[in-house]
Amino acid sequence: MPKSRRFFNAPAKRELLLPALLIAPAMAVLLSLSIYPLLYSVTISLQQETAAGINWTFGNFARLASDSFFWTAMAHTFVYAAAALTCEFLLGLALALLLNSQIRGRGLFRASLLVPMMLPTVVVGVVWRLMLNPDFGAINGTLARFGISTESLTWTASPRLAMLSVIAVDVWQWTPFVFLVLLAGLQAIPQEPYEAALIDGSSRWQTFRHVTLPLLKPAILIVLLLRTMDLLRVFDQIFILTEGGPGFATETISLYIYRTAFRFFDFGYAAAMSFVLLALTNVISVIYIRFLSHR
Amino acid sequence: MKRIENRFNFFRILCLFVALLFALAPVYWMLTIALKTEVDQFAIPPPWFVFTPTLEHYYDAFVTRAFGQYLITSAIVAVTSTACALVIGTLAAYALARFELPWRLNQRLSLWILSTRMFPAIVTAVPLFLMMRDVRLLNTRASLIIVYTAFNLPFVVWMMRGFFADLPRDLEEAALVDGDSRMGAFVRVVLPLVAPGLAATAVFCLIVSWNEFLFALVLTQTDAAMTLPVGIAGRVTQYEIKWGVMSAAASVAIVPILVFALALQRYLVRGLSMGAVKG
Repeated sequence: MPKSRRFFNAPAKRELLLPALLIAPAMAVLLSLSIYPLLYSVTISLQQETAAGINWTFGNFARLASDSFFWTAMAHTFVYAAAALTCEFLLGLALALLLNSQIRGRGLFRASLLVPMMLPTVVVGVVWRLMLNPDFGAINGTLARFGISTESLTWTASPRLAMLSVIAVDVWQWTPFVFLVLLAGLQAIPQEPYEAALIDGSSRWQTFRHVTLPLLKPAILIVLLLRTMDLLRVFDQIFILTEGGPGFATETISLYIYRTAFRFFDFGYAAAMSFVLLALTNVISVIYIRFLSHR
Repeated sequence: MKRIENRFNFFRILCLFVALLFALAPVYWMLTIALKTEVDQFAIPPPWFVFTPTLEHYYDAFVTRAFGQYLITSAIVAVTSTACALVIGTLAAYALARFELPWRLNQRLSLWILSTRMFPAIVTAVPLFLMMRDVRLLNTRASLIIVYTAFNLPFVVWMMRGFFADLPRDLEEAALVDGDSRMGAFVRVVLPLVAPGLAATAVFCLIVSWNEFLFALVLTQTDAAMTLPVGIAGRVTQYEIKWGVMSAAASVAIVPILVFALALQRYLVRGLSMGAVKG
């Protein structure tokens, strides 16, 4: 046992009090504001108000099965997450590979790319409402200048293009994040394997496939995990851009839960739905973490 | 060979410039809308560069309307909740990084703390709304400060645990040998050494609290208590949208974020990945 270990362990009995005191406030905060709300949510999801008073029932969960809005919102969430994740990952990886070498002004470039992802999501929503506005937005205005007809391009107001628009906005905001994490991962790779590959006469693609990709895997998994969690719970930008509309075209699960709770005041049903979302994100993160520890 | 390399370099720089244009042009567009008169705002084709700037929307937003108040609320909530989360979280992080706890509690507690951060916000938003209603804290700044403290806490614990773990133990031991108490060594020796990490963590918490929307939307609906994002969102979803006012308010909301983000570049990756990638 190294000396410092022994030092920090002795005398064993008294050393428990101080760390317990240091951790106690954090535990108290998390128990009362994360765990207690969760339990509270369980109880309201199992209750239904009737004329006779409050009933304990599984009714809220049973309702999920036959609620087609719920399943549509689920489907929207998955389409949104899958499409945005794919685009963000491929674009972010490409940018990271391009920039993983000495280029003049790299610092400035990196700093500018940070801008979208640091913006408050509400501001991102405002920015893109302005860009995509069919009457005076910059996108249609610029397209029109090049002689492209923009009559049918109503973006967030069109049932066909609304989903595409909100996905594109997410890609715009979060590709820089994927890029940054992958760039950090690339820069942590040592030079030796590349020199070995060069000596073996590997092509660029072979080097990428057999050297870069395996060594980058931890960073890739972490960034995919973080993005997947965020994408499945997406709320802010869509709320600002379309409020889930037109109609129901961009309603994701978080928006549907919000509407159920705070527009229709059906807290029990909203709580029941939120547990489905929680279970879903848990299962997915467990799968990712399995992969991560199997590297 | 040399020519191919050169061509590749040119292609690379071109790609980067296009990426840069995509990243920045939309934000620039919003800034111009904030500075344009209504005539210029609706002009076709849209003027990107040539228009007569005006500050009327800023006046309208922050003097005529209540955006100044939202701004103050946002600042108070962000700073107070960050301070609370830093104090509570740093102490816990130090204990988790430096003391051997029984039953492998170091790892177990750390993972449990991290897992509380993984809940989708909407899952806790519903019960937190009802709890705040029960204790009559709806539409108060206190409700947001409490919720943001809890929200930032896991992040502070994870970041600071990493910064403490990076420090060699010898310095603390030297202080202890010199007769300092445990907490004395922590305050006088350890804290100054992790100060840059502490600052980076604080800035992250400030950004998260400043940007947060869902809890603020659920918990605050009055002018006196709402934060800047909620105020801006309220204007967007109205029937008649004042684009200039909205853009002016949004442009003010991004100023502190940009300043912080630039100051933070070195720690950005580490912070955004909860310390998982050291960057």
